[in-house]
Amino acid sequence: MTTGTVSSAHRADAAASVAARRRKRRGVLVGWSFVLPNFLGFAAFTLVPLLGALLVSFTDWNSYSPPNWVGLANFRRLWQDDNFHTALANTCWYAAGHIPLTLAASLGLAVLLNQKLRGAGILRTAFFFPYVTSLVAVAVVWNMLFSPDVGPINQLLHGFGVANPPRWTSSTDWAMPALVIASVWRDMGYYMVLYLAGLQAVPAELYEAARVDGAGPWQRFWHITVPALRPTTFFVVVMLTISSFKVFDLVQIMTEGGPGRSTLVLSQLIFREGITRGRFGYASAISLALFLICMVITAIQFQAQRRSER
Amino acid sequence: MTRNPGRTTSLLAAAVALLSVAGCSSAGSGASTDGKTTIKIAVWNYASTPEFKALIDGFEATHPDIQVEPVDILADKYPDKLTTMLAGGDTTDVLTMKNVIDYSRYASRGQLAPLTDYVAQLDRPSYKNLTAYDINGEYYALPYRNDFWVLFYNKAMTGNADLSHLTWSGFSSLAKQLTSGDGANKVYGTYLHTWRSVEQALAAAQTDGNLLGGDYGFFKKQYELALDLQKSGAALPYSTATSQKVTYDSQLTTHKAATVPMGTWWAAALLAEKAKGTNDVDWGMAPVPQTTDGGKTTTFGSPTAFAINKKARHADAAKQFVQWASGPEGAAAIAKIGIVPSYSDSTIMKAFFSVPGMPNDELSRKAMQPDTVVLEMPVSERSSDVDQILTEEHQLVMSGQKSVDQGIQEMNKRVTNEVK
Repeated sequence: MTTGTVSSAHRADAAASVAARRRKRRGVLVGWSFVLPNFLGFAAFTLVPLLGALLVSFTDWNSYSPPNWVGLANFRRLWQDDNFHTALANTCWYAAGHIPLTLAASLGLAVLLNQKLRGAGILRTAFFFPYVTSLVAVAVVWNMLFSPDVGPINQLLHGFGVANPPRWTSSTDWAMPALVIASVWRDMGYYMVLYLAGLQAVPAELYEAARVDGAGPWQRFWHITVPALRPTTFFVVVMLTISSFKVFDLVQIMTEGGPGRSTLVLSQLIFREGITRGRFGYASAISLALFLICMVITAIQFQAQRRSER
Repeated sequence: MTRNPGRTTSLLAAAVALLSVAGCSSAGSGASTDGKTTIKIAVWNYASTPEFKALIDGFEATHPDIQVEPVDILADKYPDKLTTMLAGGDTTDVLTMKNVIDYSRYASRGQLAPLTDYVAQLDRPSYKNLTAYDINGEYYALPYRNDFWVLFYNKAMTGNADLSHLTWSGFSSLAKQLTSGDGANKVYGTYLHTWRSVEQALAAAQTDGNLLGGDYGFFKKQYELALDLQKSGAALPYSTATSQKVTYDSQLTTHKAATVPMGTWWAAALLAEKAKGTNDVDWGMAPVPQTTDGGKTTTFGSPTAFAINKKARHADAAKQFVQWASGPEGAAAIAKIGIVPSYSDSTIMKAFFSVPGMPNDELSRKAMQPDTVVLEMPVSERSSDVDQILTEEHQLVMSGQKSVDQGIQEMNKRVTNEVK
């Protein structure tokens, strides 16, 4: 009977596909079981608080009394809040200084210390030191270095004949550059290590071939090193962007947002509104805004990276 | 960070698990085996703030069934730390209210237990500055000490100068006269600490200005005076003081400044240092300089108080401590170590001046009896926001980033627009 053979073939087919599906599902389950411990941790300590913050941002919760639903009031307030505008502008200003300077400094150091120099190992460790040093100590020491009247930096500048050196952390114009300098000094060692790892992966033949063709060191840098390091650079830029936008500790210790509001950054405003004033709803709304800013910038960077790879 | 987020989270999970285990095990220690109740009290810099030990020892001696355990917090971080603790549902029984601005914040958030019924039974005039804790007729804390501002001076450096009736202009010329030296040997006539109250609260107290009002023209004269002292080199520049994190204590005790306007809490610290041999300064107290030479002394001050956590584990024992510490017995205990208690009568002032090392010359006695003490910052829900703005603009004016007029204009504008 034709129908019988068809249906049995069908059945065999179906059985095979069930088995395949089962196998696939099993594979998925095995995969999940590997990820599960990690995911549970992520869910408990990142995902749930994140969703919690989203909910809180629509309330007036003060951590003590029961929250009231206030709809979009926190976001309307955000739109009009002069402190938020100032903090956003300051954070962007910080990022605009911190990202390119750290990138340039860490790349430069990595290229230099990738040479077969005597003592390169010691120097690499030395440049990595700031990153593992306690940030509070770093900030306090930089504060002293920047002291406008008796600090070594301004004494040095005086020595070079600068009559009116910047007032650094006591000046609204120079406080942010002072923070950027301190943060570049601190972070460049970490990104230098990433670049050093990237440099190991650049094939030596390329340099040899270029040398044979008569390319100078500068040309070799621009036409081999920089393109070969593109994946590392992408990673470094993404990390730097995120860390610049959520900068908090260094600012809190060195200037506390001052003088005035000249170095008030978004994370500080979140801390102040949330922890100090107990306006957790409004603080969550600012955090959400910060999160969105980071996400949009990162998405743009990924987009740009994909386009350049094509 | 990002190197291995998975590991970070699981480590965090482990840490939290450990912490909660530790939390559980310590939770049971409220009532110890010998039937004593142990209450916890949040304090700052326990080792260098002798009043806490004096109060705890005195209380334990009269209340044998209660033990008091201090929770020591760094003074600078005290408000932030306490706020975070309370937000996390901490059960520390007694909370020290470092200033009235923080107090009003905790109280209006409902984090403190009411004490209104007890206050109603008190002989209220004996409790100085009790009304600072009145929030719409309710009380959530009892003051145990009441500090106000005087002019501390180094007797060797001021010499024969008459400090008993200083006006601000007299103070300014005296400071300039006492300034001498250069470089490492430079000696300043005065040191004005970086807090905004040094200029703002003094101006408000002496000119009847309203610190929450949104019209700060009354700051002008005081700022001009402070900036002039800085400019003429008679006072350490504000920006040096902030970037070096200069302590006011070092300015007087290392003979760097001849005079320092400061709160009376400093007296006990100076005495303690002298007893330990860490400073050798022969100091005294004078009334703060006045706007006019009318003979009356007006200064500002702020009480310090104890409150009971609404989530206290042992609320009854905590209440006993707060009542004892703020009352006559607590006052006697701290007056004996040179601290100005809130509760005061003639015997307590006598105890204060008989502390060994306390200057008890006529001028110091006069300084300790100002005619009017205005509260440093009025208590309101807006206090903390206004404080932030006034502090930010204060930094700009004192560091010379803005002129006095610009600074005052900005304060007016921001307080009016930003504080709802």
